Amino acid sequence: MEGFFPWDFTVVPAKFHLFASAAGYTLYITTLGILAGIITGLVVALAKISKRKALNKLASVYIFVIRGTPLLLQLFIIYYGMTAIVTVPPLASAVIALGIHNGAYIAEIFRGAIQSIDYGQMEAARSLGMTRGRAMRRIVLPQAFKRAVPPLGNQFIIALKDSSLASTIAVPELLLRGRQMGSSSFMYMEMLVIVAIWYLLMTGVLSYVIHRVETRLKVSDRG
Amino acid sequence: MNFFKIVTVSICVLLLAAFPLAAGGSGDTADTISFAGSGGYPPFNFMLDSGDIDGFDVDVAKEIAKRMGKELKYVTTSWDGIIEGLRAGRYDGILGSMGITDARLEIVDFSTPYYYSGPQLIVRKDSGISSIEDLDKSNNVALATGTTFADDAEKYGVTPKFYEDDNQTLMELINGRVDGVLTDRIVGLNAMNKMKGGDKLTLAGSVLRTEKMGVAFKKNSPLTAEVNKILEDMRADGTMTAISNKWFPGQDITVE
Repeated sequence: MEGFFPWDFTVVPAKFHLFASAAGYTLYITTLGILAGIITGLVVALAKISKRKALNKLASVYIFVIRGTPLLLQLFIIYYGMTAIVTVPPLASAVIALGIHNGAYIAEIFRGAIQSIDYGQMEAARSLGMTRGRAMRRIVLPQAFKRAVPPLGNQFIIALKDSSLASTIAVPELLLRGRQMGSSSFMYMEMLVIVAIWYLLMTGVLSYVIHRVETRLKVSDRG
Repeated sequence: MNFFKIVTVSICVLLLAAFPLAAGGSGDTADTISFAGSGGYPPFNFMLDSGDIDGFDVDVAKEIAKRMGKELKYVTTSWDGIIEGLRAGRYDGILGSMGITDARLEIVDFSTPYYYSGPQLIVRKDSGISSIEDLDKSNNVALATGTTFADDAEKYGVTPKFYEDDNQTLMELINGRVDGVLTDRIVGLNAMNKMKGGDKLTLAGSVLRTEKMGVAFKKNSPLTAEVNKILEDMRADGTMTAISNKWFPGQDITVE
């Protein structure tokens, strides 16, 4: 039956642990990429809803450019293109690319969440004597954050999978490791299956955490 | 919980965790020399279970580094961006079975050849194909992106299909999606012996031409002359033959 099923998946449990350090790299660039994305995202979202025209335009251009080009292309430009000015190491290139890319998407998530809060909330806060900034911080943003959680969780899972693109710029993460091990041992499919299981483990844990956070926020809604 | 707490925590964690980011920028330090290869080209350079890279290329690289009195850093990167990485200064040289070609010589410098091989057509045993002359435009031939074999495909008028590496090309051939694979003769032979289903394959004809493999350096780098001198010594004192014997018993691929 070899012709029909040429793979030997019995090696999967034996080789599984060899991918732990690669999974560490995946987790590392994803985590830092998301954190950078959150910071960028909030700054860009606030710029986008700001009353200043120039900030507004800047934020729009940022989102237009970053959301309008593939992440893989951005990764290549940072990794290969910037070397004339500064040689960004592979790991840092991956984090920067994931950060600016997710920043654009998270900015839109934050903007949508902020604008979904009834304007009456802001007016009420202002009429109580709060400044616009204070009303934003104390009244609008805490409510907006809750609404941003589900789409944010979704974005985090996308970012975790997108981190596999770093395999193209020599970051020894899961996919690159799987391909190199596969090419070297002539067990390509077997290694890819191991990689798939690692990804599922990580996205599974992430989904669970997001679910818990959502549930907790729901409870605090009632209180 | 609100945005600002999240952002403050994000910034703190980012700053704390960002230290390793500076590592691995460029290979050029005083006491190390870095060579690059794909890490997926057995038996020349391939990954062990431990994550270390081994193979003929790596042994040559180790010996060169030793004779320079430097520590070797063998970097793996994808083949189609490997020259761009050299030009960007991410490593000192490419020692990963790169064929010396006129097109590449316009962009990088090469050492003298450190081994000789050639492109070979591999087909299924039951196909009845005995040489590349039996194929034409209607035949798909698989090859790895960024290799010199694309020129051969063009020269012989077959339709190339591009893949990431030879594991994929040979799997496609075994599965019957392509009519042949063009790859290095030694790499192809090694893969046929080790791959599942490799016994269904055979070499069609002999090598299409001789390919000379060299170590690539940035244009006008002083390393080219330095490594040429070391390679000359390694040939003269039998080291090259010994490394060839280790990987290809009874065969000296380091002479033409």
